[in-house]
Amino acid sequence: MRSAGIFTATLIAISLAALTLVGGGAAMAQQAAQPQQPAQAQQPATPSPATPPPTPQTQPEAKAEKGASPALQQAEDQLAQTERELKRIADRVDSAREDDTLLAELRVEVDALSKQIIATSVATRPRLEEIKTRLAELGEPPADDQPPEEAIVTEERKRLVAERGAINALAARAESLAVEATKLANRITSTRRALFSNTLLRHTDVSAEMLSEALSTTVDESKALWRSVGSWLTFAWNYKRLPLLSAIFLSLCAALLFLVGSYRLFSPVIMRREDDDEPTYFRQLSVAFWSTLIPTLALTAFAGSSYFFLSSFNVLRPDIAPIIAVTLGMGVALFFVTSLANSVLSPEQSKWRLVRVSDRGARMLLAPIFAMALVNGLDYLLGSISEALGSPVVLTVAKSFLASIIIGLILMSMALIRPTLRPNETFDAPGRPWPRVISVSLLLLGAGLIAIALSGYVGLSRFIATQIIVTGAILVMIYIGILTGRSVSKQGAFAETMAGQYLERRFQFEQVALDQIGLLAGLGIYALVLLFFIPLILLQWGFQIADIEAWVYRAVTDIKIGTITISLAGILAGVLLFAFGYLVTRWTQRWIDGNVMARSRVDAGVRNSIRTGIGYVGVGLAGLFGLSAAGIDLSSLALVAGALSLGVGFGLQNIVSNFVSGLILLVERPFKVGDWIVSGTTEGFVRRISVRATEIETFQHQSIMMPNSLLINASVGNWTHRNRLGRSEIAVTVTYASDPRRVIELLQEIAISHPMVLKNPGPSVVFTAFADERMTFELRIYVADVLTANGVRNDIRIAIYERFRDEGIGAPFPMKIEDVTPEDVTPEEAAAPEAVSPVSGQRQHERT
Amino acid sequence: MKTLTAAVLLCAVIGGAAHAATVTNRDGDTAMLVIVEGQSRIDVALASGATETICPMGCFVTLPSGDRIGLQGDETVEIVNGSFVFK
Repeated sequence: MRSAGIFTATLIAISLAALTLVGGGAAMAQQAAQPQQPAQAQQPATPSPATPPPTPQTQPEAKAEKGASPALQQAEDQLAQTERELKRIADRVDSAREDDTLLAELRVEVDALSKQIIATSVATRPRLEEIKTRLAELGEPPADDQPPEEAIVTEERKRLVAERGAINALAARAESLAVEATKLANRITSTRRALFSNTLLRHTDVSAEMLSEALSTTVDESKALWRSVGSWLTFAWNYKRLPLLSAIFLSLCAALLFLVGSYRLFSPVIMRREDDDEPTYFRQLSVAFWSTLIPTLALTAFAGSSYFFLSSFNVLRPDIAPIIAVTLGMGVALFFVTSLANSVLSPEQSKWRLVRVSDRGARMLLAPIFAMALVNGLDYLLGSISEALGSPVVLTVAKSFLASIIIGLILMSMALIRPTLRPNETFDAPGRPWPRVISVSLLLLGAGLIAIALSGYVGLSRFIATQIIVTGAILVMIYIGILTGRSVSKQGAFAETMAGQYLERRFQFEQVALDQIGLLAGLGIYALVLLFFIPLILLQWGFQIADIEAWVYRAVTDIKIGTITISLAGILAGVLLFAFGYLVTRWTQRWIDGNVMARSRVDAGVRNSIRTGIGYVGVGLAGLFGLSAAGIDLSSLALVAGALSLGVGFGLQNIVSNFVSGLILLVERPFKVGDWIVSGTTEGFVRRISVRATEIETFQHQSIMMPNSLLINASVGNWTHRNRLGRSEIAVTVTYASDPRRVIELLQEIAISHPMVLKNPGPSVVFTAFADERMTFELRIYVADVLTANGVRNDIRIAIYERFRDEGIGAPFPMKIEDVTPEDVTPEEAAAPEAVSPVSGQRQHERT
Repeated sequence: MKTLTAAVLLCAVIGGAAHAATVTNRDGDTAMLVIVEGQSRIDVALASGATETICPMGCFVTLPSGDRIGLQGDETVEIVNGSFVFK
């Protein structure tokens, strides 16, 4: 709580500091804001930027003839280069009509070029403005009836007008180029759209001839496949034996590494423990999620590394490479779908099952899912083989047709499985049919797939089949991931996980901290799931990586609402920068305090002041940097601050005055932490000087927060300002029966004999008053540390009492002298009347 | 979760949405602007004192004075005496 308080106070300090700074100096704010817009008006990164208006007069004539300033020249060059680039891209678009990936990349390039074209034109704007200003200065050419102007003026005007024309011509060229770029971008988009719909909606007549033709080509193709695989193997074995073997060896090593590594690292997360009788729902979810994801990732890494090794050792041939790639990809996809189905259905262990289906139902569901994934994968594999071997298109179509029909049939057959259970039934019950909704939708889906394939839209049916299997699997994965995230962020859930228990053991975290970590972990899982799987689905749907990158880039850097730009990356950078600045500040504070000042034996109060000052400055600076990095224009903040300053003047007057008073306290140091101060009725030790108030701890250990402005405005007494030397008094009263000189002597002696009483300035005794029936003396002593005065006084009083008793002087305090008749007085009482009744009526003001 | 998804979607939508330049006519009479943005060429008549938000993705503007300027799409421009003044 204390640190939270500090943090809040620091935040207020930053914002106040920022306000003060911003309000104080708009110029500074603008300076800080300037790096914000390097790409804009400052664009003319020309060798000689911002030529001042008079320079045209001194420019050589030759240059004037060309009418080109360096800025203009550079813009011309840039534009020409952009034009060449655009032409190159247009050529590539023509040649890449069939390649969706390349087209997507080209589209991104064209968009960048469009931006560049505008930027080129923008770069000439400052020069145009200069020309305009200069022309306005020169004025209109004189009319016929006016006296002629000087030749040099006419000359300059002519030159400026020519340059203005040149710049406008350049802008016109840029404009037409931008139009061209847009046209090209639109062409790419329409080409891609056509490509997509061609793939999906290409219509083939399905007929008996086509199928028989496909059958005969299948025989040819299998022969061709056999031949080329055989020849590749012979070739690889005869000529590339070493690379082939080493590639196989390395990929096996990688496989082993990934497999063993992932199992060793994550085995607690992904293994189902047999002894776990009643796994919690969270554990079920997380085991299902991670035991699918981690092995799939390991397998993906293995597939990627194998392909990499094979191709980098030049073992692959162009006709074999795509086949190998698709085989590996198919393997990964098949593994993913199967292991996901396995972890969700868990046919062997009913306690780990995520959906409530019977044992038999789970087993029976697993088979069709695997079969569909296999058929779909084989469809893609065979398609790529046909493509690699240059087989006729009809073959690919026929295979996809067959695959779609099979998948449709499998879907329909799934409707017949009876997996569901009543709430009171055990897992080994026979099971009941699906709810009507599910069985009907399965039947419709399968029938629809078959109908689409039969009607000739084989590409579409293949696409839908793939979506059902792969996208379905990914969606299930997302759902499980989100459920995991949600259950881990529930209160108290994280403490029961393995990670939570480990953290608790290792770092002794509290329940609250664990809950907070659990919340973070839940958010992390959400983010992971969304960031990882949504792109996967988009890729599935035929979007290209370049598209997704462009979206993400735009979403992260450039969100505009009205005229406000928000950049997520900028905000993140701002927050990080602030956190970094905060850490650096804390570290600097500690370093200066602990090393520099502690070694130089600097006074504790000064140390505290310097540390606090560094804290204010550092955090304020970090806040400013963070704000500018977040893209918040400080000049607009200055505007707001200006408008607010009136309100601040009234509303926050106290806060600001306390803050400023706090700064003054730190600089002037009328007291420092640890001092014993008195202000008004408050007395105690200063514990902390913070932004708004100073914490004073009274002797009763009550903390009093005293506003800093009060301490500045009122008089403050400080017992320990320059030194801790202090004077203390002890009042002593004796009856007139005693000898005052003897009393003074005795008191002096007692004071000097005490070791804590200073010899210089030495103690003194003053005969202060003749009171009724008593003489009053005051013993004044000096002690080196005023904090010890109380103890010293205590000792001395005891000594005085004992000494006076021994010397027979009488009690050193006022006491009632009773009227007694001499007859009643016994001799003993008369001898020492005062010694027997010490009255505790002493009114000595106790300081501590 | 729903909120998070909505936020992500909103970001994506806004990311695709527009930012724009603001043009204000400070002249006494209507200014005719020719705005070329993407493939389209539009004539905009900007009445005296009127403010228009144009070209979200950057464009070229031909001003009454005959000057042609490129706008990136985040500027604030005023038209004074038929010519542009950047703010």
